[in-house]
Amino acid sequence: MRISRYLLYIVILIFLLTLPIYTGVYLLNVIDIILIYIALALSWDMLLRSGQISFGIAGLFGVGGYAAVLFHLKLGISPLISILMGGLAAAVLAWLVGMAVLQLRGMYFAIVTLALAEIFRVIIRNLPDLTGGPEGTVLSSAIFAGSSTRTYWLVLAGAIVSIIASEFFRRTRIHFAITSIRNDEIVARSSGIDVFKYLVFIFVITSAIQGMTGGAYAHIYGFVSPEGSFSVDFTLLPIAMALLGGMHLTWGPVLGAVLLGAVSELLKLYIPYGHLLVYGVIIVITILFFPQGILGTLGQRLKKTDTG
Amino acid sequence: MSLLSKLKQKSYQIAIISVVLAIILGFWKPHVLIEGIQRACLYAVIALPMALILGIVGIINLAHGDFMMLGAYFAYFLNVYTGMDPLLAIFPALFAFFLIGIVSYKAIIKYVLGAPELNQLLLTFGLAMIMEQLANLFWTSRPIKLSLNYVSSSATIGSFTFGTYEFVYIGAAIIVLAGLLLFLKRTSTGQAALAVGQNPRGAKLVGIHVDRTYLLIFSLSIALVGAIGAIFMTRHSIFPLVGAPFTMKSFCLIAMAGIGNLLGILWCSLILGLAENFVLSFRGYAGWADILFFALIVLVIMIRSRQRQVK
Repeated sequence: MRISRYLLYIVILIFLLTLPIYTGVYLLNVIDIILIYIALALSWDMLLRSGQISFGIAGLFGVGGYAAVLFHLKLGISPLISILMGGLAAAVLAWLVGMAVLQLRGMYFAIVTLALAEIFRVIIRNLPDLTGGPEGTVLSSAIFAGSSTRTYWLVLAGAIVSIIASEFFRRTRIHFAITSIRNDEIVARSSGIDVFKYLVFIFVITSAIQGMTGGAYAHIYGFVSPEGSFSVDFTLLPIAMALLGGMHLTWGPVLGAVLLGAVSELLKLYIPYGHLLVYGVIIVITILFFPQGILGTLGQRLKKTDTG
Repeated sequence: MSLLSKLKQKSYQIAIISVVLAIILGFWKPHVLIEGIQRACLYAVIALPMALILGIVGIINLAHGDFMMLGAYFAYFLNVYTGMDPLLAIFPALFAFFLIGIVSYKAIIKYVLGAPELNQLLLTFGLAMIMEQLANLFWTSRPIKLSLNYVSSSATIGSFTFGTYEFVYIGAAIIVLAGLLLFLKRTSTGQAALAVGQNPRGAKLVGIHVDRTYLLIFSLSIALVGAIGAIFMTRHSIFPLVGAPFTMKSFCLIAMAGIGNLLGILWCSLILGLAENFVLSFRGYAGWADILFFALIVLVIMIRSRQRQVK
C-alpha cells in the first residue's frame, strides 16, 4: 500500500513538472497565479489552526516583495537567492512584531495585523530614496528572462513547500499543541504547552512563506509598488479560498485556491470591473451556510454516514 | 473625598493643559486648529454609529464605512435625478438606510450573532467587499463630486482665511452625540438597549425583546451612517473605496475610547484629528499622516491588553 501511494505521488509530481509541455503560455500563467494563491491560502490557514486570524497577509507579502527586489537591485544578489532573502526579511519582521502582537487574541490580533500591513505600506511609500516611493520600483528584467516554464517551476516549488510544511504541521506533535491552543488555551497552558513559543514559531514560518511568495511575485512581474504589492487582494483572496475549501486542512485551501483562481480568471474576461464581487458573495454564503467549507462539510457528511 | 478631589484636580490639569496647547496651536498654526477640529468631528460622527453597534449588538461591522459610501452615492444620484440638495437628502437617506439596515440584519447579521468572532469578522469583511465591488461595477471607480456653491464659503479673521462650511461636521457630531446620549439615557427603549448591551441574557430574563433591540440598534446605526454619507459627499469626492479607511479609523477611535464610551470618542477624535492635521501641515512629511491612526491603533490595543493582564 505504502509503495503504491508513493508511486502515486511520484506520478503526480512528474505530471505537474511536465505540465508546461501540455499547456499554452496563457494557461500556464493562470496556473502560476493559482499556485501563488495556494501558498498564501495555506500559510494563512496554518496560522488559523492555532486560532489566530491574520488580516496582514498583504503586509508580509509586500515586505517580502520589496525586500527581494531591493536585495537584488542594491546588493546585486541573484534573483533566486533574493527571493529567499525576501522570505527571511518577512520572517525576521514577523518575529520582531510577533513578540509583541502575539499576546493578543481574537479580533484584536486580526485588527492589529491589518493595521500593521497598512503601516508597512505607508513606511515603504514614504521612503522614496530606497523604495521608489509611490511609483514603486521596476526591475530591468523579470526572473529567468521571463521564461514561463521556469517561472512555473519556481511557483510550483513554492506551493509544494507550503503543502509539505502544512502536512508536517498536521502530522507531528505540533498539530496537537496548535489544536489544543485553538480549542482551549488555558487547558493547553496547564498541560505544559508553551503557547507563546508555538505561536511565534508558526507566525514566523507562515510569514516566511508569505514573504517568499511576495518575493517570487515581485520577480515574476519585475515590479513592486505600494498599492500593487500591498493590495488588499492578497489578504482577501487567500482568506476566501481557505474558507471555501475548508479551514484547518491541507487540501481545503488548495481546493479553494484552484476553484476560486479558475473562476476569477474566467470572470475577469466577462466582468473587467468588480469581478471581486464574487469573492465577497462566496465569503458571505460560506459563512452563513457551510462555515466548515467544502472539504469540512464533506468530511462531516462522511463521518455521519460511517457511524449512522 | 481627598482622592476624589485629587482626581478632579488631575482632570482639571489635563483640561487646562489641553486648552493651553490648543491656544498655542491656534496662534502658531491656526489652520491646523480649525481644520483639525472639523476633521475630528467628521471622524467622530462616523465612529459613533459603529460604536453603538459594537457596544450593544456586539459585532464589529467592517462594512461600516461602505454603508457611508453607499449613502454618499444615494445622495449623489438623488441630486442628479431629482435635483435635491444633498443636505436635504439626509432625510430620505435616513429612511432608506434604516430599511437597508433592517434587511441586512434580517438576512445576514442575525445568523452570526452567536458565531465565533472570526466568522463575524469575515462575514462583515465579505459584506464590505460586496458593497465596494457592486459600487465599482455600477458606477466605476472614477471619483465623482457635486459642485455646490455654499460648500466653498469661507470666513476671514485678520490675515487668516478658513472654510466655514466644514463646521457642518461639528454640528452633525454634536447632534448625533447628544441625540444618542439622550436616547440611551432618557428613553425606555434606549435604556433597554443599554441593558441588552451589558447582558443580553439578563435583559431577556427581565422581559426585554433582545432580538428586536438588536434589529433597532443595527438599523438605527446604519441609517445614521447612511445619512452621514450624504453630508460627506457635499465636500469630498466619492468613489467605491472612499469608505474603507473610515472603517479602520472608526474602529481605532472606539478601541481608544473604550467600548461603550460615546463621549470619549469625541475627545479621542479631537486628539487624532489635530495630530493628523499637525503632521499634514509640514511640507514633505504629509505622507506620514496616514500612519498616525494605524500606529495609534496598534499602540492602544497593546496598552489595553497589557493593562488587562496586569489586573
